[in-house]
Amino acid sequence: MSVAYLRGAVARGDLEKVIRFVRLHLGDGNEAVGKDEVDRSWVEAVKILLREEPVDRKFIAGVLEKDESTLALLLFHLHFYLIRKSGRWIHDGSR
Amino acid sequence: MGLIQRAIEERGVPTVSVTVARDVTELIKVPRALFVPWPMGHHFGVPFHRELQRRVVLAALALLENSEDPGLLINLPMKWADVRREAKTLTEQGRRL
Amino acid sequence: MTAADSGALPTIDPREAGTQLRSGLWKTINERYPGAMIRKDSFVPQARLANSLSQSRLVMISSCGVHLKTDEPLDVCHPFGDFRFLRVPSSAKHEDLIIHQLKYPHDDADLDINVIFPIERLQELCEEGVLGGLTPNFFSFIGYNMDPDKFERTVAADIAQAVVEKEHADCALLAPA
Repeated sequence: MSVAYLRGAVARGDLEKVIRFVRLHLGDGNEAVGKDEVDRSWVEAVKILLREEPVDRKFIAGVLEKDESTLALLLFHLHFYLIRKSGRWIHDGSR
Repeated sequence: MGLIQRAIEERGVPTVSVTVARDVTELIKVPRALFVPWPMGHHFGVPFHRELQRRVVLAALALLENSEDPGLLINLPMKWADVRREAKTLTEQGRRL
Repeated sequence: MTAADSGALPTIDPREAGTQLRSGLWKTINERYPGAMIRKDSFVPQARLANSLSQSRLVMISSCGVHLKTDEPLDVCHPFGDFRFLRVPSSAKHEDLIIHQLKYPHDDADLDINVIFPIERLQELCEEGVLGGLTPNFFSFIGYNMDPDKFERTVAADIAQAVVEKEHADCALLAPA
């Protein structure tokens, strides 16, 4: 959906349309794939944490003081980072 | 891309684009375009096929010199299967183009 | 020497329809992302080359997101797109360049950038005298965007202005991804 379309959907409270857009973006144009991709990035995060390696909580606390626009965009970057780590990359424009 | 092409043409600089999406190009009404019936990400051919890449560039540049009607959309008549066959043949012969 | 003298293809009947490998792209994308695809009702007035190609300076613009390895990439993760553009020196070679993209296959372009961004082919045509020259910089942006109005006001307008006023291009080749 275009940004104008999304703004309309948010104003009407039509969150289904917004999540559909998210899934399409994350699924390279395929909503079902996008839904799966969301699950995969969370699974990958859990797999990494199961390794019980040191974490930098001070860094995280510092990051969380940033403005909300930056953090909202960071969420998308983190998703794609975790997807790359999962070893399955679907973003080849074929869908 | 069509919006940029139109914006540049409106400022008096002639433009030509290369497209694999004929329907998208036709709907945005660009001044000139060369259509290649190939997949996305391969508008100018295949890796190391210098001669083919050059042919596509020259075919596009020729439109800049010769076009008369707005919306000229010329087809490059080379099938993707033939492109891949050429590249494969040359690779099998152990040399790159 | 003109482009027609340099082994270009013979004249092609424009009525000959080519078969698009992936049909119905506009419809598909517009169904998935309503309002994201653009259609225009009329053509813009056509500009003409002031001189022959061998006396003209060419600029190339690409939506493939290519950039110098030393530059920060454009943002391919943003769900609405990245409304900035990058300059790519027209003297750059394949080994100087890199693509960051999500929405199209670039494995072959990673092997040879000229598959999607024929910068070295254009350099050769200048050396041969087919083209008069290249502008100092080419332009690169991310083709994916979900706000065509903003794109037209920002990326399209800014690149068009730079092409004319800063780079002094006589003609332009546009290469989508």
